[in-house]
Amino acid sequence: MVPVTAAEAPRTRPRLWARLAAVREETALPLLFLSPTILLLGVFVYWPLLYTVYLSFVDWNFVADSKDFVGFENYSGILGSTLFNDAARNTLLYVVGSIPLKVLLPIPIAIGIWGLSQRMGDIYKTIIFLPTLISFVVVAIAFSWLLNPFMGIIGEMLRLVGLRMPAVFSDADLALWGILGISTWKIIGFNTLLYLAGLATINRDYVEAMRVDGASDGSIFRHLIWPMLTPTTFFVAIATVIFSLQQVFTPIDVLTQGGPSNSTTNLFYMVYQYAFVTFNVGFGSAGTVMLFALMIIVTLLKVKAFERWVHYQ
Amino acid sequence: MSAMTLSPAWRVTAHVALLMVCFAIIGPMLLVVGTSLKPDNEIFSPLPFPVSPTLDNYAAILGDAAFRTYLWNSTGTTLLRVAGQLVLCVLAAYAFARFRFPGHNALFFLVLGAMMIPPQLTMIPNYILIADLGWFDTWTGIIVPNLAMPFGTFLLRQHMLAFPRELFDAAEVDGAGPWRQLWLVLIPNLRPALGALAIVLFIEAWNEYFWPLLISETDRSATLQIGLRGFLNEETGDEFGKLMAGVTLASLPALAIFFAFQRQVMQTFVSSGLKG
Repeated sequence: MVPVTAAEAPRTRPRLWARLAAVREETALPLLFLSPTILLLGVFVYWPLLYTVYLSFVDWNFVADSKDFVGFENYSGILGSTLFNDAARNTLLYVVGSIPLKVLLPIPIAIGIWGLSQRMGDIYKTIIFLPTLISFVVVAIAFSWLLNPFMGIIGEMLRLVGLRMPAVFSDADLALWGILGISTWKIIGFNTLLYLAGLATINRDYVEAMRVDGASDGSIFRHLIWPMLTPTTFFVAIATVIFSLQQVFTPIDVLTQGGPSNSTTNLFYMVYQYAFVTFNVGFGSAGTVMLFALMIIVTLLKVKAFERWVHYQ
Repeated sequence: MSAMTLSPAWRVTAHVALLMVCFAIIGPMLLVVGTSLKPDNEIFSPLPFPVSPTLDNYAAILGDAAFRTYLWNSTGTTLLRVAGQLVLCVLAAYAFARFRFPGHNALFFLVLGAMMIPPQLTMIPNYILIADLGWFDTWTGIIVPNLAMPFGTFLLRQHMLAFPRELFDAAEVDGAGPWRQLWLVLIPNLRPALGALAIVLFIEAWNEYFWPLLISETDRSATLQIGLRGFLNEETGDEFGKLMAGVTLASLPALAIFFAFQRQVMQTFVSSGLKG
């Protein structure tokens, strides 16, 4: 419905609007437009951050009547716990494993797509992008069946050639790499697209000119393509670190719930485990506060990387 | 335009490598769809495709009342959430793009800042709040905390800023107030951007797992993602065909929308990744 405006029919304008206009249209109106967004962000994003800080100093289980102040005990408790130890180690493994698979591997893929004819490149690009559209729950369920050692189809296929499928997600030495693998499957196309956005800024005439001058593929890559891709790479690396921290929550929860024996949990999942598996609100909140500090650092790096990238473009 | 920038030798290498990558991407999908079309007695056969394909698994999963409930909850919560997000995004973006008011920059910073905060960092107080409000295990509880969408606000603001100022001025001369300028001048011209944003928001909401995991409990509000995960836990091994039919069906809406509007979707996804 389109409200009637003052200029057209001043007398029929609803009273609220008239009053607001009288106050000052240029101020009241935009604040009115903004109010639902600001209100919701205040209630569901900013207030919870503050409240979490408070909860990180109390001992509580969601239902008890009293929240006892315990100072920094929750923090020291987490830092001394095996779960934190394992989660921190795994987080590092996820990040380190992600760099070659999710950050570096998409570079040759993107260059290949970029260097082929538009038509073929578009077909490859579309196929590689598909996992981005599929939910992580679906991806996790599909792979849990594909890789199921007893009933999964890949296991059956391996059996034909005399190989045995290991129980990827119930083996403490393999589960983390299994999750890393399926999260690579899910994200690789998206990161390829980010690199393609970086490559799109390279003027193809330069490539032709270099080739006419007798430059080899290697030197075209070294002197033209790679320098243009460096800022993108930095950006993708940081975005992937955030992704590795945060998005693997879903496959962890669907496939392993952090196990076997804490071998797949990470810092984000640890916070969830404290708060919603063992109902230790204090530990969960203290972990959240520490994670928040970590996220601020990573996010500042990301903003920096993005500025550099935009600067290049 | 077909600008080829690889030399012929590298072109062959690129094709071979890209075909392998595509195979690694498509292969698991085909195995899942293939299994969903297998009759019961072929489920454990190592063949990727059914010998005698059947839609029995689809009939079975659609005949499951719980699955139909999840489908309904997903559809309802997703559509309402996206509609609400679009309205709030348009209003907020319009306020930022069109008006100068005290606190403009501070509020804009507040909205941008919220983009950087993952839901896991706010989950404990939000869980408590939803329980206190009596929204636990309801559509309202799933939808409302997600209605403000910083990325969408930012994206639409960018589009509005790129919009020629003269058109607003002309509308103003014609006597159109801010509301009419929004609905009659801006929205019709923003349709492509709104469409692309709507698609990305839809896919995001449809695939959402984390928040419903916390506050869905029963069939009253459990979405497909939660329900499918439940099916996986109950799965004893004799119904993999049905489960694969379920995950195929759950993936269809996003894939269908993507193939209908490919180009805009990929672009908007990329920009959401740049910001989010």
